[in-house]
Amino acid sequence: MEKISCKIKRFNGSEAWYQEYEVPYEKGKTILWLLTTIREEQDPTLNFTSACRHAICGSCAVRINGNAFLACNTPLDEVIETFDTMTLTFEPLQNFEVVKDLVIVWEPKMEKMKKVKPWLEPTANGSKETGFLQTEEEFHQIAAPTDCILCGVCASECNQLTVNQDGYLEPFILNRAYRFAVDSRDGSPEEHLRPVLENELWKCLHCMQCVSKCPKSIPLTDEIAYLRSETMKMGEMNNQGAKHAYAFHDDVKKKGRLNETMLPIKTDGLVHTAMTKVPFALRMIKKGKINPFHFPKEVEGIAGVRALYEYAKEVKD
Amino acid sequence: MKYAFFPGCTLESAAEELMISTKKVASALGIELIELNGWTCCGASHIQDVDDFLATSINARNIALAEELGVDKLLTVCNTCTLMLRTSKLKMDKNEKLNTKVNTGLNNIGLEYKGTVEVTHLLWALIEDYGLENLKKTVRVPLKGLKVANFYGCHILMPPNIMGFENHMNPRSMELVAEALGAECVDFDQRLGCCGFHAVFPAQKEVMNMTGINCLSPKDAGADCIVTPCPLCQMQLDAYQPDAQKGFNEDITMPILHLPQLIGLALGFSPEELAINRHVVDAIPALSKGFLPV
Repeated sequence: MEKISCKIKRFNGSEAWYQEYEVPYEKGKTILWLLTTIREEQDPTLNFTSACRHAICGSCAVRINGNAFLACNTPLDEVIETFDTMTLTFEPLQNFEVVKDLVIVWEPKMEKMKKVKPWLEPTANGSKETGFLQTEEEFHQIAAPTDCILCGVCASECNQLTVNQDGYLEPFILNRAYRFAVDSRDGSPEEHLRPVLENELWKCLHCMQCVSKCPKSIPLTDEIAYLRSETMKMGEMNNQGAKHAYAFHDDVKKKGRLNETMLPIKTDGLVHTAMTKVPFALRMIKKGKINPFHFPKEVEGIAGVRALYEYAKEVKD
Repeated sequence: MKYAFFPGCTLESAAEELMISTKKVASALGIELIELNGWTCCGASHIQDVDDFLATSINARNIALAEELGVDKLLTVCNTCTLMLRTSKLKMDKNEKLNTKVNTGLNNIGLEYKGTVEVTHLLWALIEDYGLENLKKTVRVPLKGLKVANFYGCHILMPPNIMGFENHMNPRSMELVAEALGAECVDFDQRLGCCGFHAVFPAQKEVMNMTGINCLSPKDAGADCIVTPCPLCQMQLDAYQPDAQKGFNEDITMPILHLPQLIGLALGFSPEELAINRHVVDAIPALSKGFLPV
């Protein structure tokens, strides 16, 4: 009979090791079935968390062959097909403290989440008596972000968090801030947006891991773009991220293309650029990679491009 | 074979060597690239932070320019350009209301987005259209003994609903092409890592750390060089490598090639003809160790 070979990362509080198990393959099962089978039939000391088995409680996320999955709604056959192997390596989620085996600690993350005030700050346009009514469209704004089940998959895969766990916010925390900032019943979106900005919002790398692996398909990267956009509307323009984004925006309007020579100066200012980017610029020039005297000419049809900018502004207003 | 060609800003300034190598390789393979007249920057994953509708509009314009050429596909050699163009295309094709709104703006300037052109990347086109068997037939100098580390870059894989050429958790395209050229592929932890380029300004410290990790991982696995299908990954890993080195005690030196340069070597072009000598980290010694005559 065909077997699935599982290598599971174990941890007893002080030591970590990989332990191997073999499970007879069965068609049409889930990853959670595989883990449960090992615990029930081979090793009662194996620790992992799970509860609802219906992708609602969010407690069973693990990493398999270097990628995070929600165990209960991931078909085993799909994983075997994806990695084209019957050998699966299980590890706890990344970017979380591990308690034992595949079990991670959530409390510090929940404490961190409080920074973005993940609760509704009611508007004045409602009361206990009259309620806080929403239109269908307003409801749809919060439909996707409220699908979050706090499984931790996004945080595990976030490349910024991997190198910056103290400063950066987990994507599920950004999602929570978004969920309240866009809620028509919330009267103080700035209360959610400001802490997001202050906690390194602009350090998102655009790596697309969170949005690609979220088991609920929440459009996390679109939400991050919205959060950035809103902070700029609040007047928070004096930071590298906002200046960098506007450098692209303005260059396309001006010439159609990016002026890479001027980009660092527009983002960091002349003084900071002179202090930090000179060696970089010199080595680029020396190798002939960048020509400091290359200034993009206006592209053919630039008037049309500018008309699109005007049009975008009109339809927004 | 004929494609509309979207070079992207980096090929015009900071990665001219990629423009040179792409054109040489395409011509040697018999692929005709027609550069779009009046293309604009794709937004590079930044303009949507200012105005999402505008980001969709400028790329719908880029695609509309390709449609006017009467070709089937618009080809890029940059992961992020591919993602930005495909993001706009998906929105235009799936969202009728948005399509009408964007097209009204395009009609005002005498253009129309019809949805007739696919957006592809050279890597995909080689596998899907050109064919690996045909590619093998063009190899004049098999890259025997060259150990390459394929660094995919995020935006050629994810998000899968927009990119979707292959499984983003276990892609094979780069290995298939490199093996067709006779090179040996090295497996390494950071194969699907992120180069960090898009946040190199606001997250300089973190991105330099990532650059060091991205260079050390293939080095430890015994690779001679990294190959990437993205000029932004190339620039991050190559041009910032001396800055990243400052944060590491061990030597992180790792030459970084663009995909068309690797192909060009197998087609018999010299490193100089492919402008490999323009990279900040000298790749030529590593290449000489492998298949090139010293």
